Amino acid sequence: MQTLPLPDAENTHARRPRLWGWLLLTPMLAWLLLFVVVPMGILVVYSFCTRDDLGRVVFAFSWENYGRVFEPIYLNILWRSVVYAALTTAICVAVGYPVAWFIARQREVVRNRLLLLVMIPFWTSFLIRTYAWITILKSEGLLNGFLLAAGAIPAPLDILYTPAAVVIGLVYAYLPFMILPIYGSAEKLDNALVEAAHDLGAGPVRAFSEVIVPLTWPGIAAGTLLVFVPAIGMFAVTDLMGGAKVPMIGNVIQNQFFKARNWPFGAALGVVFTLMFVVAYILVQRRGRAHR
Amino acid sequence: MSSPSTSRPLLPSGLKLLNWGFAAWTTLVFVFLYLPILVLVGYSFNTSRLNIVWEGFTLRWYADLWGNTPILDALKNSLIIAAFTTLASVVIGTVGAWMLYRYRYRFSRVIQTLVCVPMIMPEIVMGISLLIFFTVLHLQLGFLTVIIAHITFCFPFVLVAVQARLQGLDPALEEAALDLGATPVKAFWLVIVPCLRPAILSGGLMAFTLSMDELIVTFFTRGPGSATLPTVVYGMAKVGLNPMLNALSAIFILSTIAFVLFSENLRKLSSR
Amino acid sequence: MKLLRILACIVFAAGLTAGLRAADKELNLFAWSEYIPRPVIDGFTKETGIKVNYETFASGEEMLAKMLAGGTAYDLVQPPDYIAEALIKNKLLTPLDYKQLPNFKNILPEFTKMPHDPEQKFTVPYMTGTVGIVINSEKVKEPVAGYADLFSPKHKGRVVAVDDGRELLVGALYTLGIKLNDITPANIAKARPVLAEWFKTIKLFDSDSPKTALLNGDVDLGLVWSGEAATLWNENKKFRYVLPSEGAHMFVDLMVIPKDAKHLSAAHQFINYILRPEVSVLISDEFPYTNPNGEARKKLTAEQLANPASYPKTDRKLDTFRHLGESGALIDELVTDLKNTK
Repeated sequence: MQTLPLPDAENTHARRPRLWGWLLLTPMLAWLLLFVVVPMGILVVYSFCTRDDLGRVVFAFSWENYGRVFEPIYLNILWRSVVYAALTTAICVAVGYPVAWFIARQREVVRNRLLLLVMIPFWTSFLIRTYAWITILKSEGLLNGFLLAAGAIPAPLDILYTPAAVVIGLVYAYLPFMILPIYGSAEKLDNALVEAAHDLGAGPVRAFSEVIVPLTWPGIAAGTLLVFVPAIGMFAVTDLMGGAKVPMIGNVIQNQFFKARNWPFGAALGVVFTLMFVVAYILVQRRGRAHR
Repeated sequence: MSSPSTSRPLLPSGLKLLNWGFAAWTTLVFVFLYLPILVLVGYSFNTSRLNIVWEGFTLRWYADLWGNTPILDALKNSLIIAAFTTLASVVIGTVGAWMLYRYRYRFSRVIQTLVCVPMIMPEIVMGISLLIFFTVLHLQLGFLTVIIAHITFCFPFVLVAVQARLQGLDPALEEAALDLGATPVKAFWLVIVPCLRPAILSGGLMAFTLSMDELIVTFFTRGPGSATLPTVVYGMAKVGLNPMLNALSAIFILSTIAFVLFSENLRKLSSR
Repeated sequence: MKLLRILACIVFAAGLTAGLRAADKELNLFAWSEYIPRPVIDGFTKETGIKVNYETFASGEEMLAKMLAGGTAYDLVQPPDYIAEALIKNKLLTPLDYKQLPNFKNILPEFTKMPHDPEQKFTVPYMTGTVGIVINSEKVKEPVAGYADLFSPKHKGRVVAVDDGRELLVGALYTLGIKLNDITPANIAKARPVLAEWFKTIKLFDSDSPKTALLNGDVDLGLVWSGEAATLWNENKKFRYVLPSEGAHMFVDLMVIPKDAKHLSAAHQFINYILRPEVSVLISDEFPYTNPNGEARKKLTAEQLANPASYPKTDRKLDTFRHLGESGALIDELVTDLKNTK
């Protein structure tokens, strides 16, 4: 079972590229080279520099930035970001999968509309959306007002500026990026397969877990990638909904370029952060191939 | 392989129960998704300019909006940038996914990893490094630089979404088309792309959304004339998010929803 | 003789055209978002015909980062005082031509020749303010005079503070009797336990809009910028503002012209325009900070002048922040560490 959508080395139909194969890949290749590799290169160069009093780089070679990256405090902060991202991803899968599945099962007229409706709330401004959440979750807010009026709680819940609010905010921000890829994969699932499983005696739960989920696994994997990876670097939600009390790795990196005025250290953090992901990604690829 | 275009046949009762469960769950999730939007629209009628506490009902912000060129310009810029970004991201992402799937390049794995790098790279780092790069190239900061930056971190989302769908693609499809005399390009366009449509739609939606709401990278790569809505909104946080912004969002959202619910054109985007 | 006359005509014509070229058509302005009201910009364009390209930032640090990374050559920038000092030190600013700034005399003397620009060569004050304590007097009945009172354990979970490590550190230094710009590793170490205690009372950090939490009733007290406090007072007089007794400082936002500015004449014209009392009043109407323009102050309403956050009544001489140099990183480390260990 594949764990991630990858170029399949065992794709028997994948051919060796000829002229067209190279020509058509060139735009993307050039783009990657120019706008991903070169900026990363600049960053790597910067990470080995020292800085002046304004924070600019001074081209004097030094390892000190990399030494600092691995200090316990930053590893601790990185770990916390990973944990929040993992939690968010897990909740998004649990919450989003049924929705993606349901949408995929609808008539075609309804399908696309529902899909767009999932995304449309996120065409408003992030800040206004988040302030709306603050309005809902604050101690004199709508949620508390509703619960108090219904007599469900004796005193207002203290949700805002706590980790609970942060998780709500993160799940809200990333849910569509889980629903959409799963939909893309679930949509083509042939109903006949499900019926066949049922005909063969599988109960609904078994049909689901042993037929449907495995077949939509590429979608789940894609969604995980598209949620987990960006979520690690996210800090705006934690700042706004969590009261900026707990630093995430995104805060630390941002601060180096702004408050701390230490661009080389920020660059080093960025490089290490990206490299960690690259290594993890390659490892997961290898494991995925070993499974098959 | 193709599913009927009318409603799918009723499922056996065990699965039917499951489906009802899914329907209920989906409704709940939509409530969750739209709750802040309702609040947002509600507060667009707030008399308080600071718009933090509800003070009273007024329609004046909708009226004020018409005269406010900077905000409307910012929205226009955001839409233009998002449109170009989405178009380019969809093209690059889909073609890229297909190429990686169909051909075995010597460094496919490197390309695959590189494609994911913009997703992990923190926006501040990407923004500053791109700015430095543009400066070295003596590129004038403006729409072009912003769009380049947006495409860079948006197209991986399209690519990953399309690849997920390619996973289960029947290789016989393309072979059949080629056997019937189609050129590879025609086979791709007439056979493969329609199969990929749901994933392309998903990817395109994600790209559009990411571009519309992008702040940090845009800050570093924009020029004086290319204010986007997020930068305007973020800048207003200090003086209080004027209900005019809520009004703008409300109009935008409600008109888009109306379009989605009542447009006939969406049928054409369906898959086969 | 005839040749000389022809030469003179040519020189004269050249001078004329040079003058025409010098009449700029555009101005690249890089300023705080929402800090220069729309009517001010439109009024300037209407009067001079100069198109203003208004690019914005939301913090002084962002501004510096973009400028240093190679941002578009701006003609006019709005740094805070300590950043301006750094820019001057690194020779990144153009000296002002006071012949083009006749309205500069409107600035009150106490805002000229300040520590960041002692020769008054490069900067013009735009707006100033202080950092102080806001108290919701309906919820907090006992007196709060300074940092010690603000962060006392009985206010636990009811305080908002600006997310600015330097402001917090300086507050701690005040309570220890150390001068605000004396930021050394030793002093930071002394301030650390003080701040650790303070962080326990803080419910949230917010530099962008601390007034939100105060208006929402999620907190009752705050350490905020005076502009925020002034806005709160305008909303509801229950929000009182005090300058901390242990020590208080002010900040000045300035207008400066970067070294590689292309439209020097337009930049000077804009500064001169802002210094007009009637224009400055427009700014004060929108943003209740402290207006350094003496002539403008004469035109403000009694209510505006009575706002305790806009125009705090104090006899103390308020210091400003000086350029930090590398201590900025130390402060950031301290705050990150304290936040991390909670």
